[in-house]
Amino acid sequence: MVGNVYFELTEEFNAAGPTVLLASGQAVVYHRIAIMSKDGDWVVRETPDACRRVLEVLGCRGARYRPSAPLDVRWLAGGWSSHFEFFDERKRRIRCDFFSRPPRLPRAVIDGLFERGRGHPLAVVDVEPLILMKQTQRAKDYAVIGELSRLLPPERELALTTDPDRVLELAPRFGSAMDRPAVLAALAGERDPVVVALAREADRLQAEDRRRLRVYEDAAAEYLGRLRQDGLTEKPLAEAQERAVRLAESCLPRHPLPEDEADAAAQ
Amino acid sequence: MPLLSEDDLTLREMDDEELARAWDLWFDLAQETNDADPPYTHGVLVLVKSPRRIE
Repeated sequence: MVGNVYFELTEEFNAAGPTVLLASGQAVVYHRIAIMSKDGDWVVRETPDACRRVLEVLGCRGARYRPSAPLDVRWLAGGWSSHFEFFDERKRRIRCDFFSRPPRLPRAVIDGLFERGRGHPLAVVDVEPLILMKQTQRAKDYAVIGELSRLLPPERELALTTDPDRVLELAPRFGSAMDRPAVLAALAGERDPVVVALAREADRLQAEDRRRLRVYEDAAAEYLGRLRQDGLTEKPLAEAQERAVRLAESCLPRHPLPEDEADAAAQ
Repeated sequence: MPLLSEDDLTLREMDDEELARAWDLWFDLAQETNDADPPYTHGVLVLVKSPRRIE
């Protein structure tokens, strides 16, 4: 069958009620910006029912855990992600990633994501929160942000775009009340300072993201090592889920970021 | 100036079926690089490059 398996999975996860929103690379495909990701990545509702539904659908497809936190609200609430893999009928590798606390999104926005997602035929993260999710440590995401921003109203595009030409074009009409350094530079009328301000901003965002990820990397070390020793990634999903939860209870901290830092990361 | 290539940007002119076919073809081809892919591309473990590092 020809189609995007990640779009199909999104519909299947949500068949029994709103459970996930398609995010990241496949959401970029959905918004017709670029074909750029081989994996599927979803915001999952932070409820036991939503986790059960996802595990049920993946279990039917023969999925296995990849080394990662258990899909359980106790770890999802601490910002952890859960990762799975299976092969489709054409032997293609399907990777499925889940989280409930997208970085850089304030809690109120996260709570409203599912409401905003209803505006699309497929349950997908809306453009502006998707841009915040894409402010990662990867350089290639900033080109995508520039294109996604073009889908926004001009004031919001000016606040978020990574394209110096769009900043220069929009700033005189919409930038007078903004304190974004690139916009202030554009109001002064020269291009180079705009380019420099955007580069500094992207560099700062990349560094912040790397610092956040290092906290999780360190916090996961013992758990991931023991998980591999246990052969958990080879087990059927129901058994692996039970074992992953037991193991996580013994050595995976639920909230690696201090609460104030978690809030700051979400802003 | 567009930040992505024309190949990417023509996606906007496709209907749903064309987009599905384009993605399906791309995904078939992309399987060739599976072994070279990083272990994680999303989530909080993307800095975990190699299992050896944590074992």
